[in-house]
Amino acid sequence: MRGQVSRRTTLGFIGPAVFGLAIVGIAPLLYAVWTSLHFFNLTKLARVEFIGLENYWTVLTDGVFWQAMGRTFFLLATALPLQIALGLGIALLLHQPGLTLVKTLARLSLVLPMATTYAVVGLLGQVMFNQKFGVVNQLLGGANINWIGDPTNAFAMIIFWDVWQWTPFVALVLLAGLTMVPGEVEEAARLETNSWWTILRHVQLPFLLPGLTAVLILRTADTLKLFDMVFTLTRGGPGAATEFISLMIQRVGFRGFDQGLASAQAVILLIITIILARIYIRVFYKEV
Amino acid sequence: MTLKKLLCSAAIATALATGAHAQSDGWSLAKAAEPYKGTTVDVVFLLRPGYEAIEAMLPEFEKETGIKINIIKHPYENALGEQVRDFVAGGDLDIALIDLVWIGSFAENGWIVPVDKIREQYPDIIDPDLDMADFFPLTLDAFGTWDGTVYGLPFDNYSGLMFYNACMLKDAGFDGPPETWEELKDTYGPALTKDGKYAFALQSKRNETQSADSFARVIWPFGGSFLDDNFKSNLMSEGSQAGLKFRQDLMQYMPDGIVAYDHAETVNAFAQGDVAMITEWSAFYSSVVSPDTSAVADCVEIAPEPKGPAGRKPALGGFSLAVAEQADEAEKAAAWLFIQWATSKANAKEYVERGGVSARQSVYNDEELAKSKKFIPALVESWQEGVPEFRPRFAEWPEITEIVQEWGTKMMLGEVSTEDGAKEIGTRMEEVLDAAGYYDGKKPLVQ
Repeated sequence: MRGQVSRRTTLGFIGPAVFGLAIVGIAPLLYAVWTSLHFFNLTKLARVEFIGLENYWTVLTDGVFWQAMGRTFFLLATALPLQIALGLGIALLLHQPGLTLVKTLARLSLVLPMATTYAVVGLLGQVMFNQKFGVVNQLLGGANINWIGDPTNAFAMIIFWDVWQWTPFVALVLLAGLTMVPGEVEEAARLETNSWWTILRHVQLPFLLPGLTAVLILRTADTLKLFDMVFTLTRGGPGAATEFISLMIQRVGFRGFDQGLASAQAVILLIITIILARIYIRVFYKEV
Repeated sequence: MTLKKLLCSAAIATALATGAHAQSDGWSLAKAAEPYKGTTVDVVFLLRPGYEAIEAMLPEFEKETGIKINIIKHPYENALGEQVRDFVAGGDLDIALIDLVWIGSFAENGWIVPVDKIREQYPDIIDPDLDMADFFPLTLDAFGTWDGTVYGLPFDNYSGLMFYNACMLKDAGFDGPPETWEELKDTYGPALTKDGKYAFALQSKRNETQSADSFARVIWPFGGSFLDDNFKSNLMSEGSQAGLKFRQDLMQYMPDGIVAYDHAETVNAFAQGDVAMITEWSAFYSSVVSPDTSAVADCVEIAPEPKGPAGRKPALGGFSLAVAEQADEAEKAAAWLFIQWATSKANAKEYVERGGVSARQSVYNDEELAKSKKFIPALVESWQEGVPEFRPRFAEWPEITEIVQEWGTKMMLGEVSTEDGAKEIGTRMEEVLDAAGYYDGKKPLVQ
């Protein structure tokens, strides 16, 4: 026995979790892969047939798919740096000594945007950015800005809401990282230099990197999956201005009912997400 | 004596209104429903006035028949997906709510039961006063019929109508609404677009609204259409292009961001007095004439949609109810009884009074009703001239409408020209139709 638990006990503990994961995660994934290899349209079930990689070829050669992908990465490239910059600023402010009560209240209030359902954020956006009655135009001195009906403004609006909702998450993760910095190391650094940048770069940043990597992976995956908020706010419009990849997959799969093609798109999206996650870990995490 | 007569009249009227009247052959709803007492029927309803009207009338049906109607409410945009998933999975729905553009798909998949089969299988539950000929032929043909077979009875019925603010028009020197689309643009447009107010709003949001209410609305009156006789794209034709270019020109007299306007925004802009004219479904009548929801209720007048060079060709939309094939025997019978009752001649007046729009011709002969509902003359006129294939009704429409929605919006935003947009839609539309087998004779050219 060597003082260890038996193989059967280990399996007894881990087995249910693995089984559960297989049922809710792996089985649907395998089904999606199976579907992606077939012509599988919900309104044409009499014609379901194996077509090999044809759906994948259609996706990979479809300009609309890559436009949606490009739009999604543009959103990621604009919203994520803003979230990290603002989140870091908030984390550094909350890491300052003193004002305990205010900081506690600030931390609590940071949870609110994250706790708001995506679809509710979209509906809030519809009301607040309404051209005529919306509070945003009122705050801008009664401006007559067409937010939802203009492609550029609609995209900016999506960025705003994404930053609003997820900057607090970044702030809280980075704040947790800052609390990991040993007090004596930080104190010694402060005695050495008055430069906050030097302290941040050489003392705090190494402790922030694991959290930052997690933020990059989670926010990238979240952005690639972003659906509810955009669907309720702009439904991908005007035109295709805010049709991100998840909206496109939903459109193909549930409005055009082509489950085979939508599954192929989803599998490709999954592969891209996994590759990005590996890149993030390789580039950032190894520096810790 | 007078009181006795009055009571008798009231009793007869009530019996007629509830559909509980015994026929000469002794048929009655209660008797027909007797074997199906206690059956629950599941149906999808939309969040629209016509559905609220029937819902308000429902307790009478349930009391009389003992059949329970379980209503599952969805916004329009979710209704197709929910039903398709339910039918594919062999779910609970016993009645299909069918938008006219879904009927090809529902019928070809065998999800709905033809009316003749119901007649054959359940002769005892057919109301002798069903009178199919009383439905406007256009509505029965477009909403309930596919490839010559009747599946559904027209239930929630729309025609595009012009709602106009007579006060705004009068202030601008007009006695009535424009007769033609060109007149609307060239004469009414400049006169009514000023001081933050607009002459017209055409709901054009990127969903079915873009395809049905905006895109299709402009191509047909100008002589265009989606498809030619060979099912090839007809969007590059002179008529289609004229209509699409007209829409681009007309946008100068519409509010900014019209591509973000759905029905709610358009009706609201009109009801708030910001827009002088809209072309909307008849179903929105109750919203614009009620002082509770409209600041211009007293000024609202209704006319048929303007004519184009090819005639009036108003927008056509609507829903039928059909018995679902997946229902069991008792549910099928109970479902039919409900459908028959909800669309009956006997209930049509109450349905209209409560805010619905019936497809029964007979109800519109009621002078009292015509006086209280100003939309009736325009509606009756519109249903004489509608085009059943205003939007193609085949199973491929859900794919094609997505293409039209995307490129139609891009045209309006000026991201592509009407020619380039029409070419793109045409190419993609033909790809869908080719894959479906329309060009190699596998499928008949039915739309």
